[in-house]
Amino acid sequence: MLVLLALFGLVRGPVEDRLREELVASKLLTPPPAQGAFEQMGQSALMGTLGGLRSLVATFLTLEAFDHFSSKSWDDLRQSYQIITALEPRDETHWVSVVWHLGINATANMETDERLPAFERKRRFKEYAFQAIEFAERGIEQLPESSAIRIQLAEVYREKLKDDCATARVYGDIIGLPDAPGYARRFHGYFMARCPGKEKEAYAYLMALYREGEQQHLPTLIKEIKNLEEKLDIPGPRRIPDADPDRPKKAPKRPPNLLPGDILIPFTREDLRRIHG
Amino acid sequence: MSELAVEVKNLTKVFTLGLKKEYVVAIDNLSFEVKAGEVYGLIGPNGSGKSTTMKVVLGLMAPSKGEARVFGLDSGDIRARNEIGFLPENPYFYKHLTGAETLRFYGKLCGMRGRELENRVTELLKLVDLQGAANRRLGGYSKGMLQRIGLAQSLVQNPRLVILDEPTAGVDPIGSRQIRDLIMHLRDEGYTVFLCSHLLEQVQEVCDRVGILFQGRMRKEGRLEELISIEDQTTLTLEGASPELLARLHELVTSEPDARIVAEGHPRTSLEHLFIQIAERNREASK
Amino acid sequence: MNAESTASNPPLRAAARPVPLFSPGRVATIASGTVTQLVRMKTFYFLLAFALVVVAVGNFNLPATPAKELSMIKKVSFGTMDLFAWLFAIVATALLIPRDQEDRTLYTILSKPVRRIEYLLGKLCGVLVVVGVSLVIMYGICATMIGARESLFVSAEIEAMAANGGYSQEQIDEQVGLIRQQGLRPELGLAVLASFLKAAVVAAVTIFLSTFASSSLFTIIVSILIFLIGHAHTMASSFWLHSSDNSLFVQMLVKVVKILIPDFQLYSFSEGIVQGEAVAYALVGQMGLVTAGYLVVFLLLSLLVFVDKEF
Repeated sequence: MLVLLALFGLVRGPVEDRLREELVASKLLTPPPAQGAFEQMGQSALMGTLGGLRSLVATFLTLEAFDHFSSKSWDDLRQSYQIITALEPRDETHWVSVVWHLGINATANMETDERLPAFERKRRFKEYAFQAIEFAERGIEQLPESSAIRIQLAEVYREKLKDDCATARVYGDIIGLPDAPGYARRFHGYFMARCPGKEKEAYAYLMALYREGEQQHLPTLIKEIKNLEEKLDIPGPRRIPDADPDRPKKAPKRPPNLLPGDILIPFTREDLRRIHG
Repeated sequence: MSELAVEVKNLTKVFTLGLKKEYVVAIDNLSFEVKAGEVYGLIGPNGSGKSTTMKVVLGLMAPSKGEARVFGLDSGDIRARNEIGFLPENPYFYKHLTGAETLRFYGKLCGMRGRELENRVTELLKLVDLQGAANRRLGGYSKGMLQRIGLAQSLVQNPRLVILDEPTAGVDPIGSRQIRDLIMHLRDEGYTVFLCSHLLEQVQEVCDRVGILFQGRMRKEGRLEELISIEDQTTLTLEGASPELLARLHELVTSEPDARIVAEGHPRTSLEHLFIQIAERNREASK
Repeated sequence: MNAESTASNPPLRAAARPVPLFSPGRVATIASGTVTQLVRMKTFYFLLAFALVVVAVGNFNLPATPAKELSMIKKVSFGTMDLFAWLFAIVATALLIPRDQEDRTLYTILSKPVRRIEYLLGKLCGVLVVVGVSLVIMYGICATMIGARESLFVSAEIEAMAANGGYSQEQIDEQVGLIRQQGLRPELGLAVLASFLKAAVVAAVTIFLSTFASSSLFTIIVSILIFLIGHAHTMASSFWLHSSDNSLFVQMLVKVVKILIPDFQLYSFSEGIVQGEAVAYALVGQMGLVTAGYLVVFLLLSLLVFVDKEF
């Protein structure tokens, strides 16, 4: 009996290994959780994982993570996402969520939470920001084609760490991706322009965009080029014209439920006429 | 020479118990034959090897030594199973099935289908007097009803040999009587009946031949009358005999040098007969 | 009883019909008997519990976008379906043969011209029919809930985008497409098939164990353990076989376990389907063949034990 079982096991082994590789390659099968994840899993999560219920367990842990977010338990939230991303490493939304929670929400909380001393808040601010970056890098490793994770990472660099060079670099990585948003190229140029030592490169890059045509002549692009022209002391004839004054401006949309006499902020020309008679 | 329904030759069955490799010899060099068309009773106390013998004949167990054949086929041969209908002791059937469903289930296992099977089911339910309970689940059957449905399933494929293991155990006297009547009917219909029992009086009423098993060995075997008759005694039962006639009979016997009166008195009915008489009288009265 | 005496010399009965080498009819009879038994044991009541879980999850306001919420509903529903399927396969199968033996129903069945392989195959087929029907019903419940939520989300999203204004039809269609991608798709049926294939292998392993186990409880516990080990040994082998810290004994043990115990983790490809990955039908077909291999081998093993078993 054991012989039959063993023979069958030896025959099916290579077949199953090849099948596994193909299933993983076609993304139908998730690779095993990272080794470190096992130590961090609770018993029930472990049993669920071993019972083939990774998605189910990950879903419930996501709900648990939301609870931690609501109660601002950032360390518990990080712990939950360690397991969630280990269970479902191919789900982009988990990576985006954890980068957002740690990089944006936790850091914002540290900026305003006066229960902690200032030094501790600063320390934790940096800690959460770097944890977010670490998660983002792991997520990018798992999903190299995902622009959403990189966009969220860029936000952390831009908004929280004020690192224009890193922001520019990340947007540069996004450009070639299949689901890259249209503004990625411009944003790469804008932040490169603000990165010390990259002005010349940024100028050449933004000018190349400018020359693509009217559709790229957006106010921010023109403003950034103008700034660079000043910084790099570009001779006058080579400078681009200022923003075209006849360029049609998009009128702000008026809300449908206005009452007579309501004033909108920001003011439109009509409002100003009404105020000043 | 009539065909042999069951032929057991030098059958030995040894069981190994537990890890200590203790042995129990359940059957020891057993040999007997059951002729086609007869009612054969294998009797003996509990633990004498009756059930084990039956299971070997049914192919549920393999002999350690010797052989068992059913109509010439080795008992392990699946074709032999087609020749046999079996009623186990305390039969448990699927409680979730009704009486009719149970018969259909076993009929299908024997390869019966369609109209043939339906007719057979109807016929058997009538035979065992369970038409009224045909659509009731076996979980709601009494012990006697279970025994009767068990008997019916043993006959479903019209086997040549019917094996009954303790057919009347735990059944009330009326039920026992019905089962015994059925056994007689089976014999009349040409079935061979091989039954095992430790209820000796009931065996006595139906069997043509009997084998007495004790500690796995056949101790005595033969025709019932030959086994139990006391050859040199005669029973004479009289009705309406006057005292004078009795006195004259006494004188006649006394005049014979080798004869004597061994016992005298009013014959007794059995408690079972009395019970059945009372039950039948009450049934008639309630009609 | 209606005993009527006939002629004084009754004829001996005619010889019985021949017995085929293998009878699908007998297998079908035992299978349908098993289905009836499981149904009348009211095992389908667990479907009520399943329906409650799905309805509950479908009605929670989960903290997520519509697409994400649909994805979560799908994962919980299909995960629960998978759990119920393999657990039911173990428990139902573990009860069958020991119960027949305890009740002595086995004696009356095997005293008929039923080959032991027909009996085992009939029992297995009966369980698989019940598991299959259960999965179809569960899928129907899931599909109804997911379809209903999808319609609700789509109409709410269209309404919200129209109210906010400034969105082109293309943008609305793109947003709706995101939701529909997580909604009901025909490929989800293959996820159900994956659960069925896994349950089939589990049932075959359980039937093998029940042919020599001393009790149903033992069979259930060991089957669950084998199932968990079958899921874990891929992870274990990737960890322990490639780590030089572990002894040769541990590495040999992992290899032996991998050879002897089925790889249940392969069937988790249903999770990929539920998450919306494209399905390679050829791979699913190969999984079907692997499953067939498991069923044949474990039935054979069961027969090896059962054929010589004495009752």
